[in-house]
Amino acid sequence: MEIALKGLGNDANYWQALGEGRLSLPKCAGCKRWCWPAPFRCSDCGSWDFDWQDVEMAGEVYAWTRVRHPFGGAEALGLPYVVASIALPAANGIRLFGLLEPGDDAAIGLKVAGKVRTNRAFERDVLAISWRPVA
Amino acid sequence: MSTPRFPVSTAVVGLGVRQYKRGAAPMSEHGVLVRAIVDACEDAGLDPADIDGFVTYGDDKNEPVRLMTDLGTKELCWSTQVFGGGGGGIAAAFGAAAAAIISGQAKTVAVFRALVQDNSGRLSAAVMAHHLTDYIVGVGLTAPAVECAMRAQRMLEHHGVPRQCMEDMVRASYYHGARNPKAVGYGKELDVEAYRSSRVIAEPFHLFDCSRENDGAGVAILTSAERARDLKQKPVYLKGVAQGAGKGWGDLLQNDEHYASAGFASVARRLWEQTGLTPADIDVVQVYENFSAQGIASLIDHGFCTYENVAEVVRYENLIAPTGKLPVNTGGGNLAQGFIHGIGTAIEAVEQLRGTSANPVPGARYSLLAGGPGVPTVSSAVFSVDTE
Repeated sequence: MEIALKGLGNDANYWQALGEGRLSLPKCAGCKRWCWPAPFRCSDCGSWDFDWQDVEMAGEVYAWTRVRHPFGGAEALGLPYVVASIALPAANGIRLFGLLEPGDDAAIGLKVAGKVRTNRAFERDVLAISWRPVA
Repeated sequence: MSTPRFPVSTAVVGLGVRQYKRGAAPMSEHGVLVRAIVDACEDAGLDPADIDGFVTYGDDKNEPVRLMTDLGTKELCWSTQVFGGGGGGIAAAFGAAAAAIISGQAKTVAVFRALVQDNSGRLSAAVMAHHLTDYIVGVGLTAPAVECAMRAQRMLEHHGVPRQCMEDMVRASYYHGARNPKAVGYGKELDVEAYRSSRVIAEPFHLFDCSRENDGAGVAILTSAERARDLKQKPVYLKGVAQGAGKGWGDLLQNDEHYASAGFASVARRLWEQTGLTPADIDVVQVYENFSAQGIASLIDHGFCTYENVAEVVRYENLIAPTGKLPVNTGGGNLAQGFIHGIGTAIEAVEQLRGTSANPVPGARYSLLAGGPGVPTVSSAVFSVDTE
């Protein structure tokens, strides 16, 4: 199966930072708006320039699901695994996908901290963020 | 009104369906599609050679020009696919067909979708392949069920939609399917305990919350209202159709504003404006339910209910034809009628107004079709029994 590489839009810096264990997100140089997915042009102010800034991997669960069916491409995660959408207050609430590990206490609003991990999918190593609950 | 009235001047005049168990089609996808197109032509009283336009959706692989040698097409005038890997293009395909006819670019257009697993693989994998990137596969978000489950979980947990509504949607689909001889679920009642105890796919979805996959092809032929009057069947008119996404919805890696919705906010608004109708005018609804919760979200988006009163409206008895006030998925829907990427919901929307549905809504005048809930671009259409 042919799999497209990387993400959607202008996100090369995101992947480079993730490879170094950091989270970096684009902030519009014109109107200072955090943007995700990473655009080439700010649709609010028309700027083509973005400041990529490191963002602390701290957020809260916005949505989640505990997956119990062995879908293709997710074999390396084992079952069950919890996929979550994490809102980042430090980036104006932008939401990123992540794995919630452990995911036993999954709930909307759960406070989490993240770190970069590698996942094996479709016979390739892929970077992802693993989020764990914080007290 | 910011959206002009839609010209009610095209009609569905022919229907054709060939549906089989997944992996069990007796011929290739191309062959099944030709069968269904010829069926639809016979239904309409048309010569297959006179079909001069084709529209499909959902990354269908059957390029219309390749059908010409089977159909004897005299002249191919319109060959269009609606963008999007899911079922969001199903109603939009009728819009593209009508656009061709109204503007004089084609006279007789077949809207189709064909799916045979041996040729195109599993639909769920194909739909997801449309979206897969490292960002998505890295977290195991490799199936539509996972994506839709996340939105469904927020609909339940944050917006407070009762889980019972999901069960009632599923039961209504199976009730209709059990009474539809053309449905995969014909003659099979869904036991509530079987539903509740079925295995979990991705929380909150159990097995029966998820659509099936079938081999087959479905076809609806459109032509001008004027020409429709001379053909075999009672014409069913396209009253209005809208597709797309509003700002704040789309391919946003789940950064949608109305996250737990089905994405119809702008589409539904334009549909009501261009038809001059309101939800109260609709007699019967076919919602493409890839998953039960997305069917509910579609009803909310179109204004049939709200987060506050959803439990009163999305109630089993209320969803059943002919006694319920909001008969939904009267053919059995994607859950119980079958799933050739949703084309069966479009066929049923038309059959209701022809009066040929297995679960007829007596006197139905307006029938709504909503396609592809939760995907980046969605579409809806209203069909009517007259041009008024």
